Amino acid sequence: MVIVFYLLKRKRTVHVVPSTVLWQRFLAESQANAPFQKLKHNWLLVLQILLLFFAVFALTRPFFQGDLKEAAGLKIVIMDASASMQTEVDGQSRFARALEEADNLVSTLTDRDQMVIVYAGAATEVKQSPTHEKSSLRRALFELEPADTPTRLTEALRLAESLSQNRSDAEIHLFSDGAVGDLSEFESKGLNLKFHQVGEPTGNLGITTLDARTHPENPQLRAIFASVANYSEMPVQAGVELLFEGESKDVQMIDIPPGGVTPFVFSVEQERDGVFTVRINRDDGLAVDNEASVVSVLPRPIKALLVTAGNRFLEKAIRAAPQLQLAVANDVNTTETKPDIVILDGVVPSEWPANNVLSFRSAAPEWFDGVGTAEIPAIVDWRGTHSLLRFVNFEGVAIAESLSVKAPAWSVSLADSPKASLILAGERGRQRIVWVGFDTLQSNWPRSISFPIFISNVVDWLNPATANAGLLTVRAGSAFRMPLAKKAESVRVTDPSGKTVSLVLDEEGAEIVYGDTGQQGVYTLDIDGQKTAFAVNLLDESESDLTPRDIIKLGDYAAVEASAGIKGNREVWRWLAFAMFTVLLYEWWYYHKRTA
Amino acid sequence: MSLIGPKLLRRLEQFQLLVQRRSKTSQLGERRSRSRGLSVEFADHRNYALGDDLRYLDWNLYGRLDRLFLKLYEEERELPVHIFLDSSESMIYGTPSKFDFGRQVAAAVGYVGLCGFDRVTVRSFPGRDEDRPYLGALRSVRGKRSAMSFFQALGKLRAGGAASFNESLKTCAREARQIGMAIVLSDFLDPQGYEEGLMALVSRGFQVTCVQILASEEVEPSRYGDLKLVDSETGMEQEITFGKYRLKAYQQTVSNYCQRVKEYCASRGIHYFRTSSETPLEELLLKQLRSSGIWG
Repeated sequence: MVIVFYLLKRKRTVHVVPSTVLWQRFLAESQANAPFQKLKHNWLLVLQILLLFFAVFALTRPFFQGDLKEAAGLKIVIMDASASMQTEVDGQSRFARALEEADNLVSTLTDRDQMVIVYAGAATEVKQSPTHEKSSLRRALFELEPADTPTRLTEALRLAESLSQNRSDAEIHLFSDGAVGDLSEFESKGLNLKFHQVGEPTGNLGITTLDARTHPENPQLRAIFASVANYSEMPVQAGVELLFEGESKDVQMIDIPPGGVTPFVFSVEQERDGVFTVRINRDDGLAVDNEASVVSVLPRPIKALLVTAGNRFLEKAIRAAPQLQLAVANDVNTTETKPDIVILDGVVPSEWPANNVLSFRSAAPEWFDGVGTAEIPAIVDWRGTHSLLRFVNFEGVAIAESLSVKAPAWSVSLADSPKASLILAGERGRQRIVWVGFDTLQSNWPRSISFPIFISNVVDWLNPATANAGLLTVRAGSAFRMPLAKKAESVRVTDPSGKTVSLVLDEEGAEIVYGDTGQQGVYTLDIDGQKTAFAVNLLDESESDLTPRDIIKLGDYAAVEASAGIKGNREVWRWLAFAMFTVLLYEWWYYHKRTA
Repeated sequence: MSLIGPKLLRRLEQFQLLVQRRSKTSQLGERRSRSRGLSVEFADHRNYALGDDLRYLDWNLYGRLDRLFLKLYEEERELPVHIFLDSSESMIYGTPSKFDFGRQVAAAVGYVGLCGFDRVTVRSFPGRDEDRPYLGALRSVRGKRSAMSFFQALGKLRAGGAASFNESLKTCAREARQIGMAIVLSDFLDPQGYEEGLMALVSRGFQVTCVQILASEEVEPSRYGDLKLVDSETGMEQEITFGKYRLKAYQQTVSNYCQRVKEYCASRGIHYFRTSSETPLEELLLKQLRSSGIWG
């Protein structure tokens, strides 16, 4: 740059002289009339270049290897990159503010300190391994971007905990707005955690649930269930629009009380499989949660095989399920058509079926480690939140005798007696299994209204089409998994931004796993030319609630409070370097002014 | 305008232009010439021929040798003094201007010539139409009585326009009927050079004296910085970055240029003087010109 200044021609003052003869002769001797003058030996230039060289060299922050006198301090920075960190106030997002504060923390590092940067976004990653090089730390920091995902702070804290093991001088700095969801699973073991809270309270509307099902009253219609939460102190009226494959279908005006949730249903006709999108037509603090999509697959008739010695209650309950063709047999191999689901009613089949199974008092040997019996087991607890137990109530249900098992890893217990699980559901390999430990005829449950509801839920859950439809909607940050009926040659995924990646399948090629779901929206899946879509949604109440929390609870007992701003040494070398450069230019100008 | 003060005029009256060659003009005057004629200065004898004036016979020789010889005397002729005054645009510059200084020198030389009964002619170049009415009083002026009108006409000349030094001197050399002394008053800063003009005068037989007049601004410029210099005569532009640190180099260039003019003049028998327009007139007239034998 200095050389350029020397090469540049300057604005000239017009001066009339008697004759230019003498000047021409003078110039002929000094040769100064070309656009660029020849670079002459000039001590000033040499000094300036030398000065600039040292300045640039200083800016590269040179160092040398040497023994450090004291043990280094370790600072672990956890950057919350969840969706709520995208909230913008006055043009600056919470994440950008967090980056600024983290940058300030980097400035306080001494040569003996080390810092690690942990990214808590769609996945938890160590973005920068322990180092004291501020340039590397800053580069790592400013490459980070917030994702559309819920916070996964537990993993980040566990990672930080492992990094700080046996390091008494380790500090964990969490940069977050405090909207971190439930951290009850993480038990703080005396971690030196400092919580740097960013963000101002901001009102927000967010879609928190979304589902597409057959309309309960009219099977010809599809019902889109959704709910919108209002996280502000004022009641809000908002227009909610339903789109099918980008085409507007319906608009509803809904009123949401402050701090409340308003559920609503769209009832629309659906002629083909497609994606329903629900959108809140209102600008607020966070844009990500104003839209959610669901892949709606039209119900297809399923074939069910009831293997029973005779159970009218059960048969009747199964037949009540819509779009179901039921065959009743004594054994699994007696029918020619292959059923989609098999219901075993206290029968040990000659061959255990590989398809989805509802089993009453019958278990394949490999399902459980050991099977016992329980006399008159009382149902003391049931998991009402599970989709299988939606609207199912076990109050007043009495059982004469039941098999009792310990819930294996592949299943969750839906109903428990004091000693064992009575109803289990889970996925074993790719087979969905609902296991009921008792014979329904040895209980009063079939007489209860909850029994046909349970059967209906089970049929719905075991329906392979429904199971696959459920797979087509995932939460942001969660891996998308889909089993394939046959081996695929090529699988490509196009994300909402239009970027396409080819997936590498395992040797069997039986399952698609795609983990890069940090971006909300509709993804297109191309399996050997056949296209399907899957939706990635935030649907997270704790992310939609943009109120910054001053306290984060860790586990059952511990909590961490937001700390005040970071006090530390703010580096001023940039200003000094700038001042030096200004002085350099001034000196150059003044030199010419003086000699000119 | 009074070109020269009365005190200096009285001093100048004591001088006479010194010419190295004998006058070749046809007009009678007070200068020695190669011609034989009537004067008091004996020159030679020659044999008597029929028809010669008997008054010039050397009777003493006739008495000794018994042969008739005629006494010959040198004829005194006038000396034409040509003063070439550069009145181009470039002569306006300086304090006082180079042109004013040149006029004063021309007036002084002319006055010395007039006092010595020499025929004085002032030629200014370029010939401006505005100056035409005064040129008559500056052509072939003779005698001290003409000095007043000579000074007045000289005082009314103005400088301006572009002049070609070489062409002007060549024309003047061609047109001059009587050759004699030539005084060239100029800054010698013509882009086309000065050599051909001076050569034309020398070839014609003039005894040439050059007075190079420079303004102090030309020798020691006071404008510094990034300059676009415009030639006052040609309008030619020249960009330059000039600072005090280059002053010495510039002065060396000026010195070299003047030295080249001086060497050129010396090689052709031309008297050369370099002066500044700020130099006191007495210094040039009474010391430099006198010591160089221009007058005495």
